Amino acid sequence: MSNRLRRLVSWEGFLLVLLLVTVFINSSIAPAYLSVENWVNIFQLSIEKIIVALAMTFIIINAEIDLSVASVMGLSAAVLAFLHLAGAPMAGAVIIALLVGLICGLFNGFWISFVGIPSLVVTLATLIMFRGGARILLEDRSIGDFPEWFNRLGQDALLGPFPLGIVLFVLFVVLVVIVLQYSGFGRYVYVIGNSSNVARYSGIKVRRVKILLFTLSGFVAAVAGVLFAARLGAVRGDTALGFELDIITMVLLGGVSIFGGSGSIYGVLLSILIVLNLRNGMSLVNLTGHLQTGVIGILLILSVLIPNIAGYARRAWEKRRYAQQIRETAV
Amino acid sequence: MKKYQIIFPFLLIIVFLAACQGDAAQVVEEIAPTVEAAVEEVAPTVEAAVEEVAPTVEAAVEEITGDEAAITLETIIPEPGMALDMVLLPKFLGILVFDQANEGAQEAAAELENPQELQFLGPTPENSVAGQIDIVTTAATQGMNAIMISNNAGDQIVPAAQAAKEAGMTVVTWDSPIPSAEGEDVFIAQVDFDETGKVMADMALSIMGDEGGEFAVLSASPDASNQNAWIAALEEVLAEDDTYASLELVDIVYGNDQSEDSYNQALALVDKYPDLKLIMAPTTVGIAAAAKAMQDEGLCDEVKVSGLGLPAEMVSYTLNDCAPEFALWSFVDLGYLTYYTTYMLANGDIEGVEGESFNAGRMGDYTIEKDPTRDEGLRVLMGPFTVYTADNVEAAAE
Repeated sequence: MSNRLRRLVSWEGFLLVLLLVTVFINSSIAPAYLSVENWVNIFQLSIEKIIVALAMTFIIINAEIDLSVASVMGLSAAVLAFLHLAGAPMAGAVIIALLVGLICGLFNGFWISFVGIPSLVVTLATLIMFRGGARILLEDRSIGDFPEWFNRLGQDALLGPFPLGIVLFVLFVVLVVIVLQYSGFGRYVYVIGNSSNVARYSGIKVRRVKILLFTLSGFVAAVAGVLFAARLGAVRGDTALGFELDIITMVLLGGVSIFGGSGSIYGVLLSILIVLNLRNGMSLVNLTGHLQTGVIGILLILSVLIPNIAGYARRAWEKRRYAQQIRETAV
Repeated sequence: MKKYQIIFPFLLIIVFLAACQGDAAQVVEEIAPTVEAAVEEVAPTVEAAVEEVAPTVEAAVEEITGDEAAITLETIIPEPGMALDMVLLPKFLGILVFDQANEGAQEAAAELENPQELQFLGPTPENSVAGQIDIVTTAATQGMNAIMISNNAGDQIVPAAQAAKEAGMTVVTWDSPIPSAEGEDVFIAQVDFDETGKVMADMALSIMGDEGGEFAVLSASPDASNQNAWIAALEEVLAEDDTYASLELVDIVYGNDQSEDSYNQALALVDKYPDLKLIMAPTTVGIAAAAKAMQDEGLCDEVKVSGLGLPAEMVSYTLNDCAPEFALWSFVDLGYLTYYTTYMLANGDIEGVEGESFNAGRMGDYTIEKDPTRDEGLRVLMGPFTVYTADNVEAAAE
């Protein structure tokens, strides 16, 4: 236990150093970087992804995966736009769009926890299915012309310089930290992630936890989808297409094991900050497009390599010390 | 361990909030003297330059008008040598015509002796909408002076463009405008958008002959406002002009300016409409992909391809009669004119109001006018079209 804890602490330490280096380099090369306005933009330009990444952290610690989040975002935004086009009042459309996300998550959760199909398969199928739904609803149209108040929610500052998305994100962070690190439910999530069987024999209602997690994941994705619609002021059938990869990247870079059971929300928060600041820094020195994608990719590979290499080195060193001890006792 | 863990996220947030507040004020304070000094430094030079140019301009005007009293400058000449940070933003990277536009803009930048390097920044194709918004927002943060956008985000770009204008930037669109014209100073139109509809209808008629028949449109993305305007103009011409009564537009599909997507959409059209005689693609990616699809499947005798294409990409398809006729304008010129207009707007040579005339180097004089295809917008019209056939395509391809 203490070993694993040390590994986690050192990983987060590594991320913290990486973040500080990024912040330092950014602030020295781009004078505009340290303005409040830029910091709001840093978060605002990816706000939907980082909100969903928080929910994804639960899912991956629980040794599952939800590939359908971006499609749920797309579908709920599409439902919103479709209802708006059909003349429904905007507030009602928002509520129904959120409900659609909840139902999508429940649907995923049902097949995973009660029928027992692996989440990779279920959510891969629903990734295609929900996206199909969005495309059927909106066809090739781009639907906008939302009421002024709705677009304002996505774009304008709500609290001080912070728009609604950032306020929601901060609230989510506090909630997630409390639930994941300090509640019984959070412990269940870790235990199930380590071993679903052990959890079941310990009397944890594994199915209930899993279905709840997927339903919440769907709901959070829907919130993000609605926010995205408000921020852009328009929705298309391919809204949020491909976002799941960025989201999963942030979680894995945060040190959450893809095999479940380990990782912490602090690591994910640090990795979110690193990815956002790295992207922003590259944009500020006019590096865009494929280069940015490439750098983030390299970072993800390193995030898997470095702990492995470190573990290998530690084992090799311990082996040597052990051999030395034997030699000494032999003498 | 746990005790300090719970403090960690809050601390992080507090530290960052505190950091941004303090540093922003500090940055402003730090920068202020530098900016003032720079302004003071530049001011005499600018004045001197104006004084230097003024007599020449006056003399020129006198010469032209022959009347000393009439010193109303009809055409405004750009003031070279100003240091302006400018960004050229294509729909996305990796498209030949946008590289050509960049070439033209770089040419103009050299002529105008702007000491600041022109930045050619674009998103990746799969991230075009969010990427464009990202780049416009970042440009405002960087304190860039001007951005030139080929808009692929429809009205979704409006909040970012407005924020850029509020930050004091000049926002010019080229190739594809902002549909509502909000957040945009002026649009550099490659051709008259209504004329595009007629040119396409004429090509369709010329290829399909007087007996006409079914044809379909293969466009770029549903948010591409230039393509949408052209298709609307095409539909209008077809509906109103009896000359084209024999032409039947059966479908509009979107290949998102991706070669593979467009290729598949072209083949799907052929399967769906057995009597289809022509695919009209008002995008250089779409027309080349459709022509290749027809050639690969040996369908060139039944289904022809036309639209807007680059001679260099289309030459083989024109010569083997898969795409006997297509049209385009010069993207190099478009980039050049866009840079000139934006430069003059950003340094205050022109204000960007209706009726202003200005000189754009080797391309001659242009006037800002109301954009007839949008209710609110202003445009500078470049033109004209060149129609390419087997007779002239080889020369143009070189």
